[in-house]
Amino acid sequence: MAACMPLSLGDWSQLLEVIGTFLSLSLFSLGGGNTLLSEYHHLSVEQYCWLTSAQFADLYALAEAAPGPSSMIVGLLGMGAAWREGPFWGLFSAYAAELAVLLPSTLLMVMACLSWNRLRDSPWRLAFERGMGPITLGILFAVGVKILQTSNHGLPAYAVSMAVCVLMLRTRLSPLWFMAVAGMLGGFGVINR
Amino acid sequence: MTPLAPPPNHRELLIGMAQVALSSFGGGLSAWSQRIVVEQRRWLSDEEFLTGLTVARLFPGPNQINMAVYIGAHFKGLSGAMAALCGILLIPFSLLMLLGLIYFQVHQIPAVDRVLAGVVAAAAGMALSMGFKILGSYWRDPVALGLAAATFVALAVAQVRLIPLVLVAGPVAMAWYWPRPGAKAREAPP
Repeated sequence: MAACMPLSLGDWSQLLEVIGTFLSLSLFSLGGGNTLLSEYHHLSVEQYCWLTSAQFADLYALAEAAPGPSSMIVGLLGMGAAWREGPFWGLFSAYAAELAVLLPSTLLMVMACLSWNRLRDSPWRLAFERGMGPITLGILFAVGVKILQTSNHGLPAYAVSMAVCVLMLRTRLSPLWFMAVAGMLGGFGVINR
Repeated sequence: MTPLAPPPNHRELLIGMAQVALSSFGGGLSAWSQRIVVEQRRWLSDEEFLTGLTVARLFPGPNQINMAVYIGAHFKGLSGAMAALCGILLIPFSLLMLLGLIYFQVHQIPAVDRVLAGVVAAAAGMALSMGFKILGSYWRDPVALGLAAATFVALAVAQVRLIPLVLVAGPVAMAWYWPRPGAKAREAPP
């Protein structure tokens, strides 16, 4: 694990570095954004120590439970990064992080929309579509394992994760039910971390 | 077949996308998007909507957000895309920020932490299911499975970072899947 160097937001060069990282990650969010979760963990826990691993897991669960795209977790990470400076800077940093991660992919999307007729039958498009699929698959499994290791300590927690994974694949129930039941189990002290 | 409505202006794009975001509280964003954009407001035909969905999934970025950007850009270019982006994000992001503010205030309370430990275990199960969900479409392509396995090992075992990995593995995969004149070539690799 890399040495953890706390980020001071008063340091402009560091702030620009963080924004630059989010801007570039934006263009690598294959398969809808969840592929970036391991990178987010690396940045916010290992590289900049904005959050503990447990806090990261909490924020991921929060973003999954809340309505709307779960990729909005970036806003929560931004909030965590500046929380020490108070809620106002927390919010400011949250908006900055979300904007940084959305802007490049949005601009690319606008260009794609306006030039789609030329792109549609291009060999580049076909090769990209077919080639990135298997890579996305590999990334998603790596992300799943990473989140599992980050979240869980102990057999009961892993058992709950496995059960939810199977239920997600086999049923069409809203995942909010699984979270509510697991939250109750946690409240009664069945799941520890 | 019903004729399309006149193209929306910026304000209508913002309100329409906010309506999509609100309706989909509880899930099913892309279904709601189709219901509102195609059936209710008649901005796009079914084919146009499906084209948008294809583009949104192909390009980087969250799919539902990309779809909103596509719709905005389709009618009003860059500024329309921004209006649609604000519309789809405004309410869910504000709500999430509220949850975040509450979380950072209360997460150290032991009872809260116990409940969160459970919720987090469930969320981890959801994360694990993402890969399995798309595994089926690659099951009969050994090269795809090999690429996926190599990607997994590089990230999870060798701890390679995502950007260098995609920059190396991406071109390799694209070269393999480059469309060849004899269409059979891809179906049955030598």
